[in-house]
Amino acid sequence: MLRVADVRSGYGKLEILQSVSLAVGEGEIVGLIGPNGAGKSTLLKTAFGYLAPFAGEVALEGRPLVGLRPDQVVRLGVGYVAQAGGLFADMTVHENLLLGGYALRSSREARAAVDDLYARFPLFAARRRQPAGSLSGGEQRILAVARALAVRPRLLLLDEPSAALAPRFIADVYDTIRALNGGGIAMLIVEQNVEAILAVAHRVFVLDLGRNAFDGTPAELRASDRIRRLYLGEDEG
Amino acid sequence: MLESLAEFAIQGIVLGGLYALFAVGLTLIFGVLDVINVAHGEFFAIGGYLAFATIVVLHWPGAAGVAGAAVGTFLLGLGVYPLLLAPLKRRLGARPRGPLYLVLTLGLSTFLQSSLLAAAGGDYLRVPPYAGGVLDLSFTAVSHQRLLVLVVSIVLLGGLFLFLRFHREGLAVRAVAQNPDAAQAMGINLPRVFALTLALGVGLAGAGGALMAPLFNVYPTVGFPLTIKAFAITILGGMGNLAGALVASFLISLAEAFSVMLIPSEWQNAIAFAVMIVMLLLRPSGLLGGGGRR
Repeated sequence: MLRVADVRSGYGKLEILQSVSLAVGEGEIVGLIGPNGAGKSTLLKTAFGYLAPFAGEVALEGRPLVGLRPDQVVRLGVGYVAQAGGLFADMTVHENLLLGGYALRSSREARAAVDDLYARFPLFAARRRQPAGSLSGGEQRILAVARALAVRPRLLLLDEPSAALAPRFIADVYDTIRALNGGGIAMLIVEQNVEAILAVAHRVFVLDLGRNAFDGTPAELRASDRIRRLYLGEDEG
Repeated sequence: MLESLAEFAIQGIVLGGLYALFAVGLTLIFGVLDVINVAHGEFFAIGGYLAFATIVVLHWPGAAGVAGAAVGTFLLGLGVYPLLLAPLKRRLGARPRGPLYLVLTLGLSTFLQSSLLAAAGGDYLRVPPYAGGVLDLSFTAVSHQRLLVLVVSIVLLGGLFLFLRFHREGLAVRAVAQNPDAAQAMGINLPRVFALTLALGVGLAGAGGALMAPLFNVYPTVGFPLTIKAFAITILGGMGNLAGALVASFLISLAEAFSVMLIPSEWQNAIAFAVMIVMLLLRPSGLLGGGGRR
C-alpha cells in the first residue's frame, strides 16, 4: 500500500534520513521504532508531504506522493496524527471533528461523517461543545485519531500516540488502534513505547542514525539479541 | 455634564466602529499569516477612491460605492499573498521571514500611496454623505452618516464573526491561525487560506474607507495614520486576538473621545500610543492575551 524506497530527507540542509526503505501492506500495522534522533518522525513527515525528500520515492498504491502537499495527500486516503495530537485546543470538540472532514466534498458530507464519529465515540458526542484542550491527555489523543477518521482514510500515520500519557490512557489509545485496524485501516506508527507497539504491530522497522537497522515481525525482533540489546535497552542473558 | 458625557460616549462609539473594522482586519491577517500588514491603510484609501469613482464619477448610489469598495479591495487583496508574500517565502526557505515581510508590506504601502498620487493626484476628494440629516437626541445630535458608519461596521464585523464561527472556510481560517501544520493534515490548502484571509482583512479596510469617505475626504495617505493607530489597538487587545481587537478599538476610541474633557484636543492622538506603550511595558500579551499560533 505505502512504499518508501531509498528516501533521504531532513530539515533545510541537515540530512536526517540517509536512505531508508519500508513498506506498509493492506490492513497492516507497522511499527517504527528506534532511538531518539533516528529519524522516525522525519520519515512520517516525509511520507505525508510535510518534508520534501532529497532523494528516493514515496508511493501510495503505486501513485507517487513526492511533490504533493499534506492537504493533497489527505485526499488520497492518508490520515496523519501528530505527536501531541495536533488538536486545535481553543476550538470545540465538534469544530475539531468538523475540520477532520474538511477534505470531504461538502459541509453536508462533513456533518454526516461527524455524526458517524459520534456514534463510534459517544464520549465526544456528550462533550461536543467543550474546548478540545480541556479534555484529558488520553481523550485528546483519541479525539485526534477520531478526527483523522472523518475522511475514512485507508492508511493512518501516527506519531507517538502514547507519548506523555499515563498507562491507563495508553491502553485506551491502543484499544482504539486495534479496533480501527480490525476495520481494515492500515497504520504506520512511530513509537517510543516499544512494548505497546510490539503488542499490536504485524511488522516492525527499526531505524538507527537515519538508516534501516531491522525489518521483521515482533517475534523476530524479540528473538534478535543484538536488536534487543541495542534498541530495546535490554541486558544480555 | 451628563449631556457632555453622553455626547462624547456616542462620538467614541461611532469612531470605535471604524477602528474595529480596520483593526480586526489587521489582527486577522497577523493571526493567520504572522504578517504585520503595513499597507492596510492604503486599502482603506483605495476603498475611498473606489467609492468616489462609483458615487461621484458614475453617479451610482452610496450602497453601490461601499459594496464596490469592499469587493474591489477584496479582489486586490486576493493577489497580495500569491504575488508578493508567497514568492518571498519560497526564496527565504527556512530563514526568518518576519522582518522581510514587514519591509515588503512597507514597500507595498509606499508603492500604493505613490500610485494613488500619480493616478488621482493629491487633491482632497469629496464624497457626498450616503445618508443626510441628523438624529436629534435632545442632549446631542448625531449625523445619519456617522450612524450609518456604525451600523454597517457592526453588520460587517458580525458577518465576519459568523463566518469564522460557522462557515467551513471560516473554521479553516481559525484552524490555520492556531496550528498551520495540523490544518494541513485536515486537508486545508494553506496558500488558499492565506490569500482569502488577506483579502477579507483588506476588504474590511476598503469598506471602511468607503464608509468614511464622506467624513474624512479621500487622498492618498488618508489611511496611513489609521494603520499606525491600529497597531496600538492590536497591541492593546493582544496580537492576533480578534475579540481583543474589537474591545480595544472601543476602549481607545472612547478614551480619545473622553480625553478632550481633561486634556487639550491636540493631545487626543497621543492617547492611543500612550496606552500602547504602557501596555507593552506592563502586559505585552495585551488585555485578552495573544491569539493566533501556539
